[in-house]
Amino acid sequence: MSGTNDKGRTIRVATDVGGTFTDMVCFETDLATGESRITTAKSDTTPPNFEQGVLNVLKKGGVDAATVDFMAHGTTVVINALTERKGVKVGLITTEGFRDTLEIARGNRPDFFNLHYEKPKPFVPRYLRREVPGRMNYLGEETQPLDLSPLEGIVADFKADGVEAVAVSLLHSYANPAHELAVLEKLRELWPEVAGVGSHQISREWREYERGNSAVLSAYVQPVAERYLGRLEDGLKADGFEGQLYVMQSNCGVDSLEATARIPITMVESGPASGFWGAAELGKLIGEPNVLALDIGGTTAKCSLIEDGEVTIMTDYWIERDRTSAGYPIMVPVVDLVEIGNGGGSIAWVDDFGKLHVGPQSAGAMPGPAAYGKGGTEATTTDANLWLGRINRDYFCGGAVEADMESAGAALQAVADKLGVDRDEAARGIVRIANNNMVNALKLVSLNRGHDPRDFVLVAFGGGGAMHAVALGQELGVKKVVVPAGASVFSAWGMMMSDLRRDFFLTALADVGEGAADGIEARFAETEDRARAQFAEEGVPSDKVELKRFGKFRYQNQEHTVEVPLDGAVTEDALARIVADFHEAYEKEYTYRLDAPVEMVGLHLIASAEVGKLKPVESALTDAPASEALKGRRVVDFATEGRHEADIYDGEALCPGMSFDGPAVIEDPGTTIVVNPGNRVEMDRWGNLHILIAALAGTKELEAV
Amino acid sequence: MALDPITSEIIQNSLQAAADEMFVAMKKTAMSSIIYEVLDMGTGIMDARGEIASSGAGIPAFVGVLDKAVKVIAAKFPEDGLKPGDVYATNDPFYGGVTHLNDIIVAMPVFADGKLIAWTANIAHNSDVGGMAPGSLTGDATEIFQEGLRLPAIQIVEAGDPIRPVFDILKVNSRMPDVLEGDVWAAISSVRVGAARLEQIAGKYGAGAFEQALGEFMDYGEAVSRKALRELPKGSFELSEEQDDGRTFKVRIEITDDTFSVDLRDNPDQSTGPVNSCRDGVMVAAQMLFKSLTDPRGLANAGSFRPIELLTRPGSTFDAQEPAAMGFYYEIELRAYDLMWRCLAPHMPERLGAGHFASVCGTFIGGTHPETGRQYTIIEPQVGGWGAAAGKDGNSAIFSSFHGETYNCPAEINEARNGVVIDRMELNCEPGGEGRETGGRGVVIDYRTRAENGYLTAGYTRSRFPAWGLHGGRDGSPNYVRFLPKEGEPSEFAFVSAMPTKPGDVIRVITGNGGGMGDPKDRPREKVAADIRDGLLSVERAREVYGYDG
Repeated sequence: MSGTNDKGRTIRVATDVGGTFTDMVCFETDLATGESRITTAKSDTTPPNFEQGVLNVLKKGGVDAATVDFMAHGTTVVINALTERKGVKVGLITTEGFRDTLEIARGNRPDFFNLHYEKPKPFVPRYLRREVPGRMNYLGEETQPLDLSPLEGIVADFKADGVEAVAVSLLHSYANPAHELAVLEKLRELWPEVAGVGSHQISREWREYERGNSAVLSAYVQPVAERYLGRLEDGLKADGFEGQLYVMQSNCGVDSLEATARIPITMVESGPASGFWGAAELGKLIGEPNVLALDIGGTTAKCSLIEDGEVTIMTDYWIERDRTSAGYPIMVPVVDLVEIGNGGGSIAWVDDFGKLHVGPQSAGAMPGPAAYGKGGTEATTTDANLWLGRINRDYFCGGAVEADMESAGAALQAVADKLGVDRDEAARGIVRIANNNMVNALKLVSLNRGHDPRDFVLVAFGGGGAMHAVALGQELGVKKVVVPAGASVFSAWGMMMSDLRRDFFLTALADVGEGAADGIEARFAETEDRARAQFAEEGVPSDKVELKRFGKFRYQNQEHTVEVPLDGAVTEDALARIVADFHEAYEKEYTYRLDAPVEMVGLHLIASAEVGKLKPVESALTDAPASEALKGRRVVDFATEGRHEADIYDGEALCPGMSFDGPAVIEDPGTTIVVNPGNRVEMDRWGNLHILIAALAGTKELEAV
Repeated sequence: MALDPITSEIIQNSLQAAADEMFVAMKKTAMSSIIYEVLDMGTGIMDARGEIASSGAGIPAFVGVLDKAVKVIAAKFPEDGLKPGDVYATNDPFYGGVTHLNDIIVAMPVFADGKLIAWTANIAHNSDVGGMAPGSLTGDATEIFQEGLRLPAIQIVEAGDPIRPVFDILKVNSRMPDVLEGDVWAAISSVRVGAARLEQIAGKYGAGAFEQALGEFMDYGEAVSRKALRELPKGSFELSEEQDDGRTFKVRIEITDDTFSVDLRDNPDQSTGPVNSCRDGVMVAAQMLFKSLTDPRGLANAGSFRPIELLTRPGSTFDAQEPAAMGFYYEIELRAYDLMWRCLAPHMPERLGAGHFASVCGTFIGGTHPETGRQYTIIEPQVGGWGAAAGKDGNSAIFSSFHGETYNCPAEINEARNGVVIDRMELNCEPGGEGRETGGRGVVIDYRTRAENGYLTAGYTRSRFPAWGLHGGRDGSPNYVRFLPKEGEPSEFAFVSAMPTKPGDVIRVITGNGGGMGDPKDRPREKVAADIRDGLLSVERAREVYGYDG
């Protein structure tokens, strides 16, 4: 193990390959004091040789790879390869009678009044979808032997057609993968150099279309991802890197490079995952384990709910899915999030009937908001925030950009003219509509699932999170809003806090009546053995592996399940308690309970091991007044609460222990925090800002308009 | 008090969010696969008078149902007798139910500032509501009494407490009492979720603002429709079309700057079989087509549909009177819809393509699960081929225009839950739908039954007369069932009721290909070659129909 180097410090680095930029955040921790020095760097993303961008950004940030102890790597390479259709030609081998599953898909038509709807095209055309005879049933029993004789011909055709990766998806392989394994083995024998993946390697849950499509999409990106991860490792080693390299996963954990290269599709939503994990870790740190996490970027806002310190992981993930398209399923463990097309760059527009809308179209990085002065003529949320004084026009983008107020004003005027109001009114309208869109998304993950926002804190991060967070927190009625220290690099911090983690989901129908416990316990034990064996292969001893069990339960005849945590071994006594827990969890979410038989549909096991987390350090609280960080006052329009003279604070000058009241704005190079009137702000021992929401009773939104 | 437009819009956006939440709650709690998997359900929010303000995702054919039901409930139970926490239900087409007895509509009044401000409601297909046949649907019914328990707009929950005798009556009348109870509770959960959200919105902005926002929302819907209506070709259009069962249906549509008028009066008397629709049902058909022609991407509320005029003749098959049997109303509603589509298609080539398989292809397979010993009922609409449209081949394997955000049942789940074996689920490669742009493909699904006491009920239309081609494109192919018994001769049919099946029998469902558009000889050669390579087209047929010389 290469732990600390002998310089009395530990160096941890997070790198993140985005669509446009590759980011790096380096945490240099002094072992004596525990304090971390944080440096950041940004360089261009370098397709198709993405690893080059990573090596570049390390150099740019002055980080010597040879001194790095631990590196976590996040990347949008997988999701981009999928959405830009830059993967390889895939051949599919499936069960006789089911070559068209990929094309039939689920038959849904979300855009249902549109008679010109276009169904998403399968990633594998029909002539590359081939069949083999042989059947398993849902109990995992063979009902027809597998016939491997067609494989030779299939492989010859695939080679002739230029196939570069093969997905194998057979019916009921979630229950028994023997046939899939046999096909994969024969495939390796016939064609050792081709990338091959079986659907059971990705998911052990039923639904043949979802599992099969996941295998196909994984195969589609595998050669690309494998090549890039391989070169990244080689490049780092050539620069002297001897530490541990981990890759961020969609389930909020990190995994080894080797495991990721085998099933790269698990990286598909790794971007947002690290931020949400960070929010969970932050919640535990500050003693607020119930968190509503909100990440507002340039084009979208994403939110997720964390209960009792646990992120929710699901396997119901789809790409390119919205009100106009059925999209494509990827059945891998992904953090449960709601994403909407509302970010700082979202465009405000007025329809033919005088209704104002914000997003989902975005001005993107180019031309960007009108105030960037790069030719944007359409008003965005950022322009409205600038116009209202919420963003400092003299400190735009941390002072890096001179705000083009003339363009912003012209863009807002166009909106105002269509609405028949003045520019101030138009800007307030944009902020209110944008806030309402985000509030609806936050309600989807909280109220809609039976949670009371008053039990939660809202943790806001990303470039635009803090701008809107207080208004959203007020609207939702959360107890407080927390803006983490370094909100703009919070995702990187989350990566540094991640565990080596795998989520195992297994479909396994079981009764919960008398005598059922042994069977269920055996299923868990079997899955836990599998988890430990996998970790052992990565060199993690089994006593370092933490296991958490969840059962997926429902009333008999239902389909959807409620996940209930299970502590300890499943015994007959424990089972009765678990069923009682299920009734309670069910009623909380759905308002009623039934006197009906309960069944278990599957299990969810979280296996994790710590791999050198960052240890946050506390600072002493100061007695100094916050006025020391005050840099001025200006009039700020708080939309629904009117215009107020607000105190402007320099975020970098604020110290732990300082506190003050809104109306205020805190300016930091990466973020602007807008504090509405009546709310109190305190900085905690770790540098996080807590904004306590004042009681809102009697605040009628209409009065201020 | 004047309401500022932004607040009004915020309230309107929140309605959509609430309807969507109701949808999710229903989906996650239902016990019938027809609800949780197929999503044969709808949710919506009505104003205090029962006008629809917003609807959740789901089925277009259910969007226009809930308002009609709530209006009947609201008329029967005046506001002064309603209490917070009350829940009402109807399933009877002659009491606001619109569809058939399987579909139970559950509605809940919502209050703010002490007054009624809205209703939340949902509709879903229940697996068995009693009647003469399992699954309640049968082609043999001649009166609605044979199709199950009738709920003529009744109260089922009183101020939050279920009215137990009503639940007892519901349960004792069903062959699947636990499932029925579970599904009704799922519906109650859904309307409660919606009501709680609306109370919160109205509580924040005030009941007056809430009501005003709903009113403006509907005026907005109307303005959008009227603007689009003015852009449609004007005139009077007619069509007469023979049906599979020998009846001839006729429609006359007149489009002016202000109205979209559909005349269905000149049609046969109501049938003695369950192949009728009530007037509300064909109104939904007219609303669906109108919406697709005017503003397919936008919201749909009561205002959107104001320009529609519908003329029907009481006692006809499109305006059936009590006690007509209504089980297969959906095929009749679809026939009315397809009739209107076909009537207008030649005159609006940019908006309307060739015909699709245009049948729900409702397939009901039941029996005892060989492993669990429990009764199972498969209730599945089927996917099929859609017609070619200007410049585009038709989609393969999606649900009919009646359905929307509807999902087929995975073979793996069907086998586990219902104990059948799905031998194949593949595209239909029969000829049909050729054209410059081709129709999409239907599917072939083999259900091999394992139950001793199994049965099959099915009722497909567009079996004798398949999806229609347009502008020289070929017609599609028919919807039908091919029954392959383990012993005995195979047979083919499109309508069958409670036919017994034995272990090892195969029920092969074949859904049609959509109609083609334009002369097949004009299809680009490389597209013909691609269809041949994909095994969708034989070289011989390519030569014959497309003049392919490869």
